[in-house]
Amino acid sequence: MAGASPSEHVGKGGKKALDVEFNLVPFIDLLSCCISFLLITAVWTQIAGLQVASAGGPPEQLQKQENTIDVKLLLTEKGYSLTMAGAAIEIPKTNAAQGPAYDRKTLSEKLKTLKASLPDQTAITVQPEDAVAYSDLVETVDTCMGEQLRNVTVAPLN
Amino acid sequence: MAIVAPGKRPGDRIAASKVFGKKFIRGKKSGNTGIMLTSLIDVMTILVIFLLMNFSANGEVLYMTKDIKLPDAYHGAMLERAPVISVSAEAVTFDGRMLLSTGDLEKGDVLNVPELEDALRDEKRRYEQIHANDPDHPFRGLVNVQADRRIPFKVIKRVMFACNQSGFGNINFAALSRSPGESKTVTASNN
Repeated sequence: MAGASPSEHVGKGGKKALDVEFNLVPFIDLLSCCISFLLITAVWTQIAGLQVASAGGPPEQLQKQENTIDVKLLLTEKGYSLTMAGAAIEIPKTNAAQGPAYDRKTLSEKLKTLKASLPDQTAITVQPEDAVAYSDLVETVDTCMGEQLRNVTVAPLN
Repeated sequence: MAIVAPGKRPGDRIAASKVFGKKFIRGKKSGNTGIMLTSLIDVMTILVIFLLMNFSANGEVLYMTKDIKLPDAYHGAMLERAPVISVSAEAVTFDGRMLLSTGDLEKGDVLNVPELEDALRDEKRRYEQIHANDPDHPFRGLVNVQADRRIPFKVIKRVMFACNQSGFGNINFAALSRSPGESKTVTASNN
């Protein structure tokens, strides 16, 4: 057995035993130090960042591409309103278990259709009403980013 | 009568016998105790591997508090180290320093927040002074906004306006990172 106190084992007839014993104390010390350090420096909550631009900020350096359009996503108390190229698509709230909720699944499908027709489109403007909660705003921005609309601008509705 | 240990007590002749006497000799136990270290090392190694896999060199970017519950995000990027504006139901803090009450931001129609703008301008000035001779780290105007999930956009709007006015145009909304494999609640979003 590997132990902390090595002792001379001599086999029958004065022959040395074939068993080799390692000194495990320094190894255990090293592991203990590693565990202590890693436990102290551990980050248990992984935080993500959704980078957005706000209306009125510094002008974008990228030139507007020809095959893109202005897409606006309004967050109102009734639900989403997706405005693009003069047309508006209303996505009303759904009845979830905890009350009316924004229908992000339908929004995701609409954005997917938009992205399929305009593959170069990466910009979208999200315009929430004042009463819209931070969680709804973040989850909407997250849905847009999930559909490869990475340049999200957040602007007030009025 | 003498007190003797219980057990078999051989007679003198048997105890002196070379053949049978050994049965009744109680040898001394060794003072060294061998501890099974293999299992201990196994556990420690597994712990080290688990902790190494979770190790993040960035460390804590945000001040996590009980009164701020962050929303979930499935497509967020890694949050960079930058000044943090925290908005809870009670107060607005900048890098852990309380600036004003959240209730004050919900009142009125004006957008500017002088306290926050001053703090952000000071931060910008400090950064530019520190990195004056460091062209590799220009000021990028990066700021992290961490708000409770129930905070209305009216408050967020004023915070964003203050950031813009102070030159912090790159705003990162903080959220709890979720991988797409986790139970994705696409439709469930409730105030």
